Amino acid sequence: MKFARAPHFLIAAATLLCASFASSAHAQDWFHLETSTGADRIRIAVANFKPQSPAVSSYKQTFDTTLFNDLTTAGLFDIVSKDMLPQATPGFPAEINLSQWSSAPSSAAMVAFGNLNLQGNRLVVSGFLDDAKNTQYPQVFAKQYNEDASDDNARQIAHRFADEIIFRLGGGITGIAETKIYYVKMLGSNKEIYEMDYDGANQHAITNLGETSLSPRISPDNSRLAFSVLGTRGWSIKMYSLLLGHLVNYPSASGGDISPAWSPSGQQLAFASSRTGGYQIWISDINGNISHKITSFSGGNSSPTWNPKTGAQIAWISGRTGLPQLYTMDADGSGVQRMTDGGYASSPSWSPNGQFLAFAWDRKYGPGAPGGQDIYVMEIATKKWIQLTHDGGRCDFPSWSPDGRHIVYANSSDGRADHTRIMSMLADGTQKKALTSAGADMPNWSWK
Amino acid sequence: MSAYATTPDDQNDRFGSGLAGAIVLHVVIFAGIIGWAFYQHANADRWGENASSVGSIEASMVSAIPLPSKVPPVKDNVLTPDDASPAPTPPPKEAAAPPPKDTDVLIKAKTPEKPITKTAPTPTEAPPKHPQPTPVTPKATTGEAASQFPQSVVQVPNGTATITVQDRTFGNRYAYYVSIVGATVNRNWYRQEIDPGSSQGKSVSIVFDIQRDGSPANVRLLTRSGSASLDTSALRALQRVDGFGPLPSGDHITVEYTFDYRQP
Repeated sequence: MKFARAPHFLIAAATLLCASFASSAHAQDWFHLETSTGADRIRIAVANFKPQSPAVSSYKQTFDTTLFNDLTTAGLFDIVSKDMLPQATPGFPAEINLSQWSSAPSSAAMVAFGNLNLQGNRLVVSGFLDDAKNTQYPQVFAKQYNEDASDDNARQIAHRFADEIIFRLGGGITGIAETKIYYVKMLGSNKEIYEMDYDGANQHAITNLGETSLSPRISPDNSRLAFSVLGTRGWSIKMYSLLLGHLVNYPSASGGDISPAWSPSGQQLAFASSRTGGYQIWISDINGNISHKITSFSGGNSSPTWNPKTGAQIAWISGRTGLPQLYTMDADGSGVQRMTDGGYASSPSWSPNGQFLAFAWDRKYGPGAPGGQDIYVMEIATKKWIQLTHDGGRCDFPSWSPDGRHIVYANSSDGRADHTRIMSMLADGTQKKALTSAGADMPNWSWK
Repeated sequence: MSAYATTPDDQNDRFGSGLAGAIVLHVVIFAGIIGWAFYQHANADRWGENASSVGSIEASMVSAIPLPSKVPPVKDNVLTPDDASPAPTPPPKEAAAPPPKDTDVLIKAKTPEKPITKTAPTPTEAPPKHPQPTPVTPKATTGEAASQFPQSVVQVPNGTATITVQDRTFGNRYAYYVSIVGATVNRNWYRQEIDPGSSQGKSVSIVFDIQRDGSPANVRLLTRSGSASLDTSALRALQRVDGFGPLPSGDHITVEYTFDYRQP
């Protein structure tokens, strides 16, 4: 009888031991990554804009949808459902009855409203933002936009108005509605570089080389696009000028050059090259000159990414200890630090504020191992990480939005490469949504 | 069964008593551990309990219903600056009840309406004249609090945050900006840094300027709380803020932020 009880004693003692460890760990164990705090999100009602002439009704549909989606996607606001809005459609500040909007059910703190008009061939949009709780001085701002009438411009105006609202109310956060995403489109056996708006609209081709083009990287000033191409002589880096609309010269070295990365100054390019044997990280200027090697580790080194805040550090993937792991170093190759402790890490992206690295990681890599490749974010100072995607299939190629609050990535729900599509989410892993259909890969978010 | 108690004494007395003593000692120790475990289980905090933020991450995405906050007024918080400006006049009486009539006869309710005295409680200078659409709305019946005081009070998980703009005109005109400033500071204030023991019930006030471009400057402690960790966490919160967004008008504003620490 006594012996029968002994295991219970052991369990009790072990439990106590664990509890004391857990509580001491809990005392300092926290890591702050959040995209917004729920309690102080501003509640915004987005009214349907008032058409001033029947001809704008198709633009109005585009505009209303885009504006609503932009503000929802921002993840900053508590958006009033369109069902709860008052019946009236105010077009001008004189027409709005704010008490209707500030009372239940909409209970809005802010109201965005306005009107669309067609003047000749121009689409004129007036947008207003009112503080519904401030009866004395309601107006926060008023803006007027005037563009050639087209569906695309209606969408761009909505993006600009949404960014203006975020700029005024975001507490220092700038909007991303006007940013672009560059990605690889799979067209049969060829892969071309495409561009789309941040919400997946307006997808169109940039390159038409008829080859395999991978890892597009847009320059910080949105003027050039670097990417790697598999040509007849192996991998090389090509440079495309978005201002000129064609390729500009970038020398190809013997031995493959892959995975370019812009420094935040826009003056340097880091890339992986095998021109001296195994793949090492090199840095050159943007014309491919003055190139120099900054790593010399065996096992393959690739996927450099600069710290966009300082421009003084580079994170990259190195296989120097076997499976590829994530490392950081200073931009001159000193101060190497290993960040991941195992598994198979790939494609890092450094957050705009310099604090976090997003990367793809298969923590239990190997034949028959459980788990899969998912997106993780690591706080660099503490090396603590969180997992952002779960059970959604293979995820790869994360890229931060310029406001550091969103991440775009490639996802293949069944693991097949040709089913890969581009998705975006908030940087805490919520609000996941697909931006493209299958056949798109390697997204890269523009810097602004 | 207590097999040991019935062991005959006559076999080996010294050994028996020593063994018995050892067993009794073990039983007492085990009983103590179990008792402690049960006590701890019943009373002590468990991992994940009673903390504003637990685990490795704080992601509080739950949106509260933005009702006007029911924060009890903070007694020792100064609404007014120290230099003895008169205390703010009490908020206007809500449409004073109709004067009690001597007669019960209720004549039709069309008594000459008192002009609604829902003005701002303090004399406000003329605000900057922006091209201002005059709202045709009747006075809203809710939400005046936001515009009445250039102040925003927020209840956070372990305390009360009060933000006051010293420029009343600005605070009235741009009440929304004041609440954004408060929300941004709250978001960047990691209250896990505060030592709960020494800070309980204490209150810290910091004062800072917001420049035209929205960046904070000139951060200083107005009132020390007496708890070093509370004071430090307040200053750190401001160091984390890159900007609040550009000022809607003016060159700079001075903001006072008071935080009352109450660990529930």
